[in-house]
Amino acid sequence: MALLRKNKGNYAGPTAKLEDVGLQYEDGPEVLKDVSLEIPQKSFHFLTGPSGAGKTSLMSLLYLARRPNRGQLNLFGEDVSNINRNKAADLRRRLGVIFQDFRLLDHLSAFDNVALPLRISGTSDSVVSENVSELLKWVGLEDYMDAKPSTLSGGQQQRIAIARAVVNRPNLILADEPTGNVDDAIAMRLMQLFIELHKLGSSVIIATHNEALVERFPFPRLHIDRGNVILMPASL
Amino acid sequence: MFKIRADFPLRGDTSSRFVFGLVAILVFMAALSVTAQSYLNSLMDTWNRSVTGTLSIQIPAGSGTGDLDEARSLVLELLHEREDVQSASIIPADEMNALLRPWLGSDDVIADLPLPVLIDVELVSANDAAAEEISEVIRSRVPTAIIEDHRVWLNRIVGLAEGMNMVALAAVILVLGALGLIVVFATRSSLTEYTQAIDVLHIVGARDSYVAGQFSRRSLVQGVLGGFAGLVLYVPAATLIALLASRIEEGMLPKVVLPLQLWGILLALPFIMGLLSMITANITVRHILSQKN
Repeated sequence: MALLRKNKGNYAGPTAKLEDVGLQYEDGPEVLKDVSLEIPQKSFHFLTGPSGAGKTSLMSLLYLARRPNRGQLNLFGEDVSNINRNKAADLRRRLGVIFQDFRLLDHLSAFDNVALPLRISGTSDSVVSENVSELLKWVGLEDYMDAKPSTLSGGQQQRIAIARAVVNRPNLILADEPTGNVDDAIAMRLMQLFIELHKLGSSVIIATHNEALVERFPFPRLHIDRGNVILMPASL
Repeated sequence: MFKIRADFPLRGDTSSRFVFGLVAILVFMAALSVTAQSYLNSLMDTWNRSVTGTLSIQIPAGSGTGDLDEARSLVLELLHEREDVQSASIIPADEMNALLRPWLGSDDVIADLPLPVLIDVELVSANDAAAEEISEVIRSRVPTAIIEDHRVWLNRIVGLAEGMNMVALAAVILVLGALGLIVVFATRSSLTEYTQAIDVLHIVGARDSYVAGQFSRRSLVQGVLGGFAGLVLYVPAATLIALLASRIEEGMLPKVVLPLQLWGILLALPFIMGLLSMITANITVRHILSQKN
């Protein structure tokens, strides 16, 4: 795809680095405990673990929806503990996040939903039009550009969500069950998209319960169990 | 056609219609207030110009016509001798009747009344000392004469005008304050309604200024359009008031021409409202978002 240009940048350190990070919600128990890990640049990880283990919580830290209660979190070399809101927004432009519940804007068309990150970053209309059209075509939704999300199936919405997450060529892609609502053919196509982006320089973390998917690809996994994270080698 | 793109459906939401309607009402009230203040100021100017540097001398009807004639001649002579008097003339009977007719009715009634002689005096310049001296001279020679230099009346009128100006200013300030409060609450309401959408925008990299910009653009449009709607309401109301006022006898209220600046102010009102709405919405959004994690 023409829009998948190589990543640029001078930063050579890990994409993300957590040191003794703990996270709790209000006065509840810690959902993440003493998490220390590095997500190298251009890495690919599956994030696995039973329900309630802390996968979503870890993802929420990485896309800066939450700050750690203790420990240190570095994203693209920036300590996010005390960054201001504008800086946090700028860091998020280097992320692509895919939610299990899609989180599309219902009043915007498929085209406008995918275009959102580009428009926010000030991309010209002509470039937006070209890139978004191409991406929607790639995910098989070229005939649904003007459709509102509520008129689309779960699988179609998920593809729009994925397209929105990758349109800006993010340095880090965080995907929560991205293949959960699609058939195998589309799932493989989406995984190929993630792998392609990974080859071009993006780090990818995919949270999934799908063991078959995990075993099909030679990537290491971050396994979370009761708030603790263990790095496990690739299945193959 | 120019279209403002928005990531929220702000155009059709309830708070938008609410703000539009309230801005229209506020502009209607502000326009009436400004018009009333402008009319009053013009009226004060007209009265001020007509009485400044003038005296009115009243010689009451005495025991006989001869006394009245003698007193009238003496007063005129004293006035014409002075260099600081521009002119002194007796108000003719028909002019007196015209002044009294709105109050007393037909000329037959007026003819039966022992009317005083009224002398209109115009000074060379508006000089309180000259007016005072003339009054003393007249009183010393014609003790029954009543001299009115209008100063007391003028001062009271000026006081009234200043008071009304302050009331009008207070009204406009209240209108602007009310607009600010309305926009704050409407914006808060919208922010609550679109919390999830705003979260999505933040996740894809929008700064608070991007979100605030959308709300403030909407508020600008609402303020301007609501303002013009208020002016549309104002025109027939002002026309009706002017029509009713025109039926009042000319002797009671002089004709007043409203200044050109008034129309400029009225046309500027919608844009002032729009600008204030825009700024208020922007500040409100940024403030609320800054308190989020």
